[in-house]
Amino acid sequence: MRSKFDEQLQQLHVELITMGGLCEQAIAAAAKALLDGDEALAREVFHTDGEIDRKEREIESLCMRLLLQQQPVARDLRVISSALKMVSDMERIGDQASDIAEITRCIQEGRTWGHISIGDMARATMRMVTDSIDSFVKEDLKLARAVMAADDTVDALFVTVKNELIALISEDSENGEYCLDLLMIAKYFERIGDHATNIAEWVEYSITGKHKGEPL
Amino acid sequence: MKKKILFSMCLVSLAAVLLTALFTSLVLYNRTYDELKDSIKTEAEYISVSMGDDPIPYLQTAAKVTPSRVTWIAADGAVLFDSQSAPGEMENHSGRKEFQAAVETGRGEDTRLSSTLQEQSYYYALRLSDGSVLRVSEDTESLYRTLLRSLPVVALLMAVVLGVCVLLSFWQTKRIVSPINNMDLEHPEEAVAYSELSPLLTRIERQQKDIKGHVESLRRMQAEFSAITNHMSEGFLILNGQSAVLSHNRSADWILGLDEDAQGKNIICYCRNKDFLAVVGKALKGEQAETVLKRAGRSYLVTANPVLEREEVRGAVVLLVDGTEKLSREKLRREFSANVSHELKTPLTSISGYAEIMAGGIVKAGDVPELAGRIYKEAQRLIAMVEDIIRLSQLDEGNPGPQTEEVELLSLAEEVCARLRERAAEREVELTVSGNKAAVLGVRQVLDEMITNLVDNAVKYNKTGGSVQVIVEKTTEGGAKLIVADTGIGIPEKDRNRVFERFYRVDKSHSKETGGTGLGLSIVRHGAQLHGAELQMESKLGIGTKVRITFPNAHCQGHP
Repeated sequence: MRSKFDEQLQQLHVELITMGGLCEQAIAAAAKALLDGDEALAREVFHTDGEIDRKEREIESLCMRLLLQQQPVARDLRVISSALKMVSDMERIGDQASDIAEITRCIQEGRTWGHISIGDMARATMRMVTDSIDSFVKEDLKLARAVMAADDTVDALFVTVKNELIALISEDSENGEYCLDLLMIAKYFERIGDHATNIAEWVEYSITGKHKGEPL
Repeated sequence: MKKKILFSMCLVSLAAVLLTALFTSLVLYNRTYDELKDSIKTEAEYISVSMGDDPIPYLQTAAKVTPSRVTWIAADGAVLFDSQSAPGEMENHSGRKEFQAAVETGRGEDTRLSSTLQEQSYYYALRLSDGSVLRVSEDTESLYRTLLRSLPVVALLMAVVLGVCVLLSFWQTKRIVSPINNMDLEHPEEAVAYSELSPLLTRIERQQKDIKGHVESLRRMQAEFSAITNHMSEGFLILNGQSAVLSHNRSADWILGLDEDAQGKNIICYCRNKDFLAVVGKALKGEQAETVLKRAGRSYLVTANPVLEREEVRGAVVLLVDGTEKLSREKLRREFSANVSHELKTPLTSISGYAEIMAGGIVKAGDVPELAGRIYKEAQRLIAMVEDIIRLSQLDEGNPGPQTEEVELLSLAEEVCARLRERAAEREVELTVSGNKAAVLGVRQVLDEMITNLVDNAVKYNKTGGSVQVIVEKTTEGGAKLIVADTGIGIPEKDRNRVFERFYRVDKSHSKETGGTGLGLSIVRHGAQLHGAELQMESKLGIGTKVRITFPNAHCQGHP
């Protein structure tokens, strides 16, 4: 009985990592599509997003099965309930990556953003997503807290990008549409950062039993 | 063991209790019975002696003091007196055994059981002098009754004995077993607790030797295996059917970041790369697969092979080979062949075009020299390029051509600059040579080409009114340093590492404006390598480029 349960928990762990890997892939492809203007990569993001949605349903039903059939307690219960929360965050990351790819396709070619920090922002959020998943894989509390701290960096980068875009519009109002698109993308990156933070918080909860410092 | 000992002990003790009870009661019963008989006999003798002439009153008195039954029977069997019943009511006793025996022999006895088996009566008859018979008898408990009556006591005794047995057997079992449990099975021959166990111990000893031998050889094999895998520069992984890590070597640890408790963990915990996982998944389905994994700035060729056991996939072996250099070399080679064909085709196309026009006869006679001149120019370019390629491949093969000699760099540089001064003047570039004399051991022709290419480039990619400085210096180590600095257009940062590649051009349009084959700097790099020299480049876009070649000490150097 117990060994079956352990096996299922192990499976849950592996499935979550797989889903995390898909999220990383989606956001990396979206960022590359944006920065290099690669149309094929943008299409790949939509495909990956579909896979993420499928994975979410799979993991949810696995969690439900575990909850109903095994009636876990204490730490096991925490792990499963935080897994349930994590998959929704991961699913949102996938959605936002595909939103970024969608906008990227509309941006006209030949645009460069050497002077806009959107590349930094993409890299910072990718780092956060990777770290949040790593913290889950390695049950690394320190790394999880580092992710929570990194959210401030991404927020600050969003403000920077916003100011740069304002400057660009005041330079030439022709840039308006392009700037608004970029602002949307920046906002999506910022949201992805928030979701990565959420994941890190659930990792912290599954290890310590405290969510944002409070027992649930 | 405990149960068995307890059971047999209980059985034995219960049987003992039962038998003892039986025999003691039998013996005791018989003894008391014999005593009873004796006392009755004595009593009968005694009464018979004291009966006198008028026996009835005496008998009545005697009957009152004795618990025994006293009967006086006439010689014909009629009862004359009885201490318990009226003589008239009693039947004739002539048929009784004891009476008959007494009449015949003078004394007779008999024992009779009552109908319920509960009691038995002992009769003793004595013939008196007048022929009549005196009989004394007593009722006692029968043997059965005695036994029956002792049963509760026996049962109690049994219960007590049983209890003692349980306690004793526990204690005893412990005592018997503890030496066995404490036996040192590592050295069974020294630990004989009971001599009865020595055959078993001999067998254990033999088996232990076998096991030790097997373990030792397994350990040796394991040690050999890990020695081999740990000294491999390739990463080596064995995964089971659920892609959990079974074995990993040091290189794999380093490449994938495996830690000491990686054993038994799913490989996905360490590498989430989609292609890598796909390759592992394929291998676990029984197919060999390959991919390239980029990690920490290096590229690894990943090969995964299924481990088959009786047609069934039991796991996968994953090999990670660092292919960074190999992959980049392959890329270079691909680019080279693409470039070389393109570079060679361009002049040929022009030549063929001009020749076609001329062959068609539509060219005015006056234009022929100009067209022929163009064909000549393109053909020259083609020849120059082919010459460069030949030289490069010579350098590639490490064939420097002529012998090495001591070459004085300053005079060589002046020689080269004298040759190029005219062209520099055309572009209004000032060309100066300065420094000290410095000799290097090398191939004059190659060094000449190196300096020519460097200065030529410096002139070619210069601005009008710019300058090129060639400086030759001795280094502190006794080697020589050649610096070619220009005030030209500079090289963008992203191209700086690639300008030494064959056919690589910063200006991708392959423009003929500046001429050149795209092989010049490549020759410089190969020449520097041939001389063991170090090649450095500094460049600022729009300000200029400085190329520095540092030759090692000519006298410390062996044959290049």
